[in-house]
Amino acid sequence: MHREFKGTFKICHLYPDLLNLYGDQGNVAAITRRCQWRGIETELHFVNIGDMVDFSEMDFVFLGGGSDREQNLMAADLAEKKDSLWKAIEDNLPILAICGGYQLLGKYYQTIEGKIIPGLDLLDFHTIGGEKRLIGNIAVEIQLGGESHKITGFENHSGCTFLGDIEPLGIVLSGYGNNGKDQREGAQYKNVIASYLHGPLLPKNPLITDYLISRALERRGHPWNLKPLDDSLENAANEFMLGRMLG
Amino acid sequence: MKKIRLITALILGKLALLMIKLLGKGKGTSLPGRLALKISSEIIRLGALRVKKGIILVTGTNGKTTTNNMIASVLEESGYRVLINREGANLVYGIATVFVREMDIWGNRSFDYACLEIDEAAFPVVLSQVDAGCVVITNFFRDQLDRFGELDKTVGIVANALKNYKKTRLVLNGDDPLVAQLGRTTGQSSIYYGLEKYLDSHFVPSSVSEGKFCPLCGQKLDYSYYQYSQLGSYSCTGCGFSRLKPDIEGISPQFKSYSTSCLIEYSSSERIKLDVPIYGIYNLYNTLAAFATLNFLQINAQKIVDTLGKFKPATGRMEIFKYQDKSIFLHLVKNPTGFNQGLKAVLAMSENPLDLMIAINDNDADGRDISWLWDVDFEILEECQERFLSIVCSGIRAEEIALRLKYAGIRSSKLLIIKDYNCAVEMMFEGKGGGAYILATYTALWPVERIISQNAQRI
Repeated sequence: MHREFKGTFKICHLYPDLLNLYGDQGNVAAITRRCQWRGIETELHFVNIGDMVDFSEMDFVFLGGGSDREQNLMAADLAEKKDSLWKAIEDNLPILAICGGYQLLGKYYQTIEGKIIPGLDLLDFHTIGGEKRLIGNIAVEIQLGGESHKITGFENHSGCTFLGDIEPLGIVLSGYGNNGKDQREGAQYKNVIASYLHGPLLPKNPLITDYLISRALERRGHPWNLKPLDDSLENAANEFMLGRMLG
Repeated sequence: MKKIRLITALILGKLALLMIKLLGKGKGTSLPGRLALKISSEIIRLGALRVKKGIILVTGTNGKTTTNNMIASVLEESGYRVLINREGANLVYGIATVFVREMDIWGNRSFDYACLEIDEAAFPVVLSQVDAGCVVITNFFRDQLDRFGELDKTVGIVANALKNYKKTRLVLNGDDPLVAQLGRTTGQSSIYYGLEKYLDSHFVPSSVSEGKFCPLCGQKLDYSYYQYSQLGSYSCTGCGFSRLKPDIEGISPQFKSYSTSCLIEYSSSERIKLDVPIYGIYNLYNTLAAFATLNFLQINAQKIVDTLGKFKPATGRMEIFKYQDKSIFLHLVKNPTGFNQGLKAVLAMSENPLDLMIAINDNDADGRDISWLWDVDFEILEECQERFLSIVCSGIRAEEIALRLKYAGIRSSKLLIIKDYNCAVEMMFEGKGGGAYILATYTALWPVERIISQNAQRI
């Protein structure tokens, strides 16, 4: 049964003025369009420095990455919103955090010089600055909703992230992932998905997009299957890159 | 010994050029220089010594090729002998190739001027080897991030190179705070060019706009208007860094689909009319950059505008071809700002309906990361998609550009994935539209251009 979701799906884009690198706003476009194509009305909330936001009201939150200066500005602002964010995470709010946004959710970031920059300390991992930038196309095998999928994207980071007591998003098939050593990519906790994948991640990997939308509807008390869409273009783009990387 | 090495390098480089030409493979704008540099690492430095009157370097994100070609064309028309990397091969190997091609095998031929456009990353290396009479910096936009890291870093590379350089003259885009700051931070004396506020100047920034913060002190920048992207009238809320009235200023610009005109104010109060046969505000900025440079070189202003009035764009810089009665436009795209300008040019065309083709590659020269396509404002096509019978998506990453367009709201039924350039261009020739527009990334541009020029007349 594909009953209609009557409410408005509230999408929160954190710091779009600051964190607009690498086409990551495509993630917001993916969530928005895939709701709209199913007749789900969406509402986009831009939250910039100093703005108030009630995370419990939101259905999806996107946090991207920026250059160092911008990253510091937003880290300070988000630190003030930390408690409300943590409550929402525990209440199963779907969040996608990419690259710098991913790193920020962890315990700390240690620079090459050894300086410790505290993170929001919401999730159990830390990041260590590296000499070498990890750049290139990447393919990852992920487990999502009990199913295994191969996803693709582009990574570009010098920080190496090491997971503590938390699940990775997936296992690296080609590329570097979290740190280029342990084959792990990203992290997931409840409905938070954190990843280094640009590309952007969601348009080419619609199953993650739909997973996030489903979990959001479930959280609103609408636990039904989403109407399937024609994903032939999405799959073709993903499969082309898989073919190139994995042969 | 140096001389022998140089001669050997020139001979081998020239042989490589000849081979490439005979085999008809590639453009030969990089390999000969690479070979020659292996033998004589000083080929650029020694070649540069043969330039008598001055070396002009052009760098920045967009508009390097057009600006550089404009400067060179006016200098040539003024009777000077000019050495130039006209095809936009702007990395170290490319620059070395120009010297290999243009020098005689003894390394003795001399030139009046050298006009060299240089990629920002290669800029410090080239700068350190030549005696630059002036350095033109067009703008800084986000470009091929996988190669550079971030924009701040790119600006830093150029700034540091200039800081540690002997005295030269900078020609700076005074409307771009990221460029204009170099007049303060590098200690070099500078000439600024810019465009006065006009009817279409706007009050909201575009979504991919850089320069939200002062490059000098980090405080927020306020804008009284924007021209495009972060170009406009800025002033810093912290340190007071702001747009000054430029030395060379464009006034009352008018944009038609095939040409652009304005008045130029220069030397404090003199004015001259300029009319160039190329489209768009960014080309007007390129023209102002060229005018400012040539004015500094003491070329007569009337001579400058007369020559620029006949300017022909380089390959893929908004080039126009005729196929039977149909106009075919070809335009290089390499970053969000340039792509947005390209899309505006498409929509400014009077022909209806239109055939549109977008070819995206992800080779090294294109930038391996194509995420930037998601920073391009394709959404402006959604409302007017009825103007396009179909949109042909081509190149190595054809599926990806089709996907981008789908999420911009273009109906899937309008999107055709045709990876083969021949078939894709054929669709443009035979399409039912009144005109065709082709946008391509760097390595897709050349094969597409070859196919078009074999079948259509260049205008």
